[in-house]
Amino acid sequence: MKDKRRPRLSFVWLHACSGCEIALLNSGERLPELLNKVEIVHFPLLVDHKFGGEQEFALPEADIGFVSGGVASEEHLALLYSMRRTCRILVSLGTCATHGGVPALRNRWTAAATLETVFGDTSGRATVAAEMPALLDRVYSVDEKVRVDFCLPGCPPHPEMIVHVIETLMTDGQPRLPGKSVCETCPTIRTGEMHRTVRRFLNNAEYDSDEPVEEMRCLLEQGFLCMGPVTAGGCGGLSVPLCVQARVPCRGCYGPVRPEGNQLLDMLNVLASHGVDHRAIVDRQSLLRFSGAHGLLRLTRKTK
Amino acid sequence: MKKDPLIIAFCCNWCAYAAADLAGISRLQYPGSIRIIRVMCSGMVHPDMVFHALEKGADGVMIVGCHPGECHYIKGNEIALARADIIAETLEDMGWERDRFQMTHVSSSEPERLVQAFRDMHERLEALHQNTFAGVEANE
Ligand code: SF4
Ligand code: SF4
Ligand code: SF4
Ligand code: FES
Repeated sequence: MKDKRRPRLSFVWLHACSGCEIALLNSGERLPELLNKVEIVHFPLLVDHKFGGEQEFALPEADIGFVSGGVASEEHLALLYSMRRTCRILVSLGTCATHGGVPALRNRWTAAATLETVFGDTSGRATVAAEMPALLDRVYSVDEKVRVDFCLPGCPPHPEMIVHVIETLMTDGQPRLPGKSVCETCPTIRTGEMHRTVRRFLNNAEYDSDEPVEEMRCLLEQGFLCMGPVTAGGCGGLSVPLCVQARVPCRGCYGPVRPEGNQLLDMLNVLASHGVDHRAIVDRQSLLRFSGAHGLLRLTRKTK
Repeated sequence: MKKDPLIIAFCCNWCAYAAADLAGISRLQYPGSIRIIRVMCSGMVHPDMVFHALEKGADGVMIVGCHPGECHYIKGNEIALARADIIAETLEDMGWERDRFQMTHVSSSEPERLVQAFRDMHERLEALHQNTFAGVEANE
């Protein structure tokens, strides 16, 4: 096998936080095994590799490319196009890349309004340096801009899952995601009886901290806005979903269960179908806090 | 030339579809814009389907079920009614006008009521389109 070239991997981050890349580094014993089998040609978190050009980004050719983060600026777009040109297989890594993620929350306002709010001086004028790349009108998911071969959601995706995807793609296989909701791997007690009003998470859920999570009543049934039913599962690996382990409701960070689903609509549907009063959720748009790309979060209409 | 609107009407098998059937037998006229999709119960129509229809080009969507208390699956139309609420509320979030959706109740012996609901929906959408076009022209 000595003469066989190792598969080349390339990583870039766009509107991202580096959590997705760190998740890969967090894969424990499987990481050195993996690193022995591949060649990393570009990975800003690990390797200092200059790639900026005058007009274009000069990225090296790779067999598998990973893009984390949404597409928010002209620079991101140029980087993404370059990535698509240089990678045989392109994977969008993490919920920001697959569904816009937290950065796509700005899609409710115009780019100008965002600049004014976030970087405004006292007079409300934006104070960003002139050389900052121009913002796009909204934050796009990666697949809205280029063809993507595989989408791996999660904020961040489970380390084992990232390694599984890399190893499967290396052998030209088709990786598989669980395809189920967070609830499917949640061991809490469900009775079918729902609390009729939505309780916000200002008080703790009811549980006995000496008892395992298996003895806790489902948080949604307790009236908390647990997004487990409308969120893709896998965050806990083979074990309990992470937030439920910590006895707090799921926030929806893996994006919708079906890739094209709408977490806002689906969550309201869950509540409505069980006779829960959904009007108590005055900030319903926040149910799209992880999946506002694909045009789901839109400019809020002028109220005046 | 003016194009007719396209309206998807999800009709429950036991009341709404039976009423539509009776409307046909009684030779009642209703606009050709209506496309009926038969479902077993109005409670089967997930809000995703309504939005899917709009995204695929329908101008309006109706869910037609039995009168409250008369659903053949006992609570199906109550669920449909609760869903109709969230559909109406989220339409604008998703960039659609509220007038594009309508929930209606009929019994199997009320074809006139169903036909009237179809006509009303058709007229509402025509008015909506006229306003939209007027708005576009005014902006130009
Ligand atoms: S998906 Fe989460 S971890 Fe990954 S870049 Fe976005 S915010 Fe960071
Ligand atoms: S709603 Fe939340 S607590 Fe209940 S089963 Fe689903 S993930 Fe678990
Ligand atoms: S429980 Fe929900 S919010 Fe928490 S890590 Fe899992 S998918 Fe993300
Ligand atoms: S059967 Fe008609 S609404 Fe349920």
